Amino acid sequence: MLCEQYKDALIEVAAAGAAPQGELRAHLEGCASCRSAFAQEQSLFATIDSSLHASANSEVPSSLLPRVRVALNEAAASRLRLLHPVVLASAGVALAFAFFLIARPRHTSPENVAKQVPSIVRVPITQTESTNSQNISAESTEIAAVRVTHSHAARNSTNLHSVASSNPEVLVPPDEREGLARLVAVLNERSEVAAAFVVKAPQKDAVVTADPLQIPDIEIKPLEGTETETSDRASERN
Amino acid sequence: MQELVLNQPVSTARSELVREAAQADARREFEERLAECGPLAFRLARGVLRNTADAEDVAQEALLRAYKSFDRLRDHNKFRGWLVRISFRLALDRLRSAKRREQRDTLWAKPEHLPPPATAEDVAASNQFQAHLDRALEELPEKLRLVLLLSAMDGYTIEEIASMISVPLGTVKSRIFVARKKLAEKLRCYANNIKTR
Repeated sequence: MLCEQYKDALIEVAAAGAAPQGELRAHLEGCASCRSAFAQEQSLFATIDSSLHASANSEVPSSLLPRVRVALNEAAASRLRLLHPVVLASAGVALAFAFFLIARPRHTSPENVAKQVPSIVRVPITQTESTNSQNISAESTEIAAVRVTHSHAARNSTNLHSVASSNPEVLVPPDEREGLARLVAVLNERSEVAAAFVVKAPQKDAVVTADPLQIPDIEIKPLEGTETETSDRASERN
Repeated sequence: MQELVLNQPVSTARSELVREAAQADARREFEERLAECGPLAFRLARGVLRNTADAEDVAQEALLRAYKSFDRLRDHNKFRGWLVRISFRLALDRLRSAKRREQRDTLWAKPEHLPPPATAEDVAASNQFQAHLDRALEELPEKLRLVLLLSAMDGYTIEEIASMISVPLGTVKSRIFVARKKLAEKLRCYANNIKTR
């Protein structure tokens, strides 16, 4: 009965792999049976540990790493096989899009122009303007192409001398060029202002037609008062 | 606009090159870890399955999965712990499916084909003790089993195990202690009983 109370303590000490201390140690010194039990318990744990160690450190087959490398290569190859059509397809789409952009017609239809932000400001050179600036010859007037768009590239563009451009051209005398540039800048910044410029103006050359007046036939009738007056005068003469 | 579009194939090719280079780097890094972590995956699987061929299959599968998701692993220093978890989980899954298969086979097997019950002499034999140990290990909770297997492997200190499975050092120590005690309780009846007065 006395040894029974040390049983758990013995197992704990054996499981921890520690040496018995204090009262337990004193008991073991005086009790051969408990010493034997403790030795058996230590032996059990040692057997467990050695079996576990043998099992956990079993020799790794030499075929493992080459097998894994082959599997890795196959995995990489299959990934490439899956990826290749995607890359080819996306490259094809990109090329087709580029070709479409290059080959598309340059001129936009009038409907499209009207839908876009106002892009054309045409300033005709009138005779009065020519007379105001006498020193400006026809040759000296420069052709400016101004296009109002929302892209930064166009906004930053100062291509005022692009004679060969397909954009609409604006003839501006040199002294009005600065003002036009300011106007273009305003139009670029405020699209609603620009929109006001493209409101369709009435055409000056349009022929005005009017329906002819409809006049009904004139019917001539003798006046009633005149007839009675003449009869009265005739009776007076008589 | 046109310039941008024309540049697209070039940028695609460049990004493809960059991606391939990154893949090559990842592969090289993985190869460096393979020599160290391959045996770890195998031994862990072997500890769970107690079968070399199955353990090799599981280790290969675990390493392949780890490779496929290697670029998603944010901290590559945690690769070992990550691989341990993958290997252990795969080994457990395989063990369970093997058990189910075994149970199916047992239902159809004739009683006389079953192995005879173990005698005292058989138990004394070391290979029988190993069989009992394997069974006792199998009955351990997963957390205890993983820690015990890792602690039994050469080359890993308790600190390394704690870092590998991301648990505190004290937890690892207590798990090892509890696991050994549980094993001893199960195996004591196969060894000499503690003689008490």
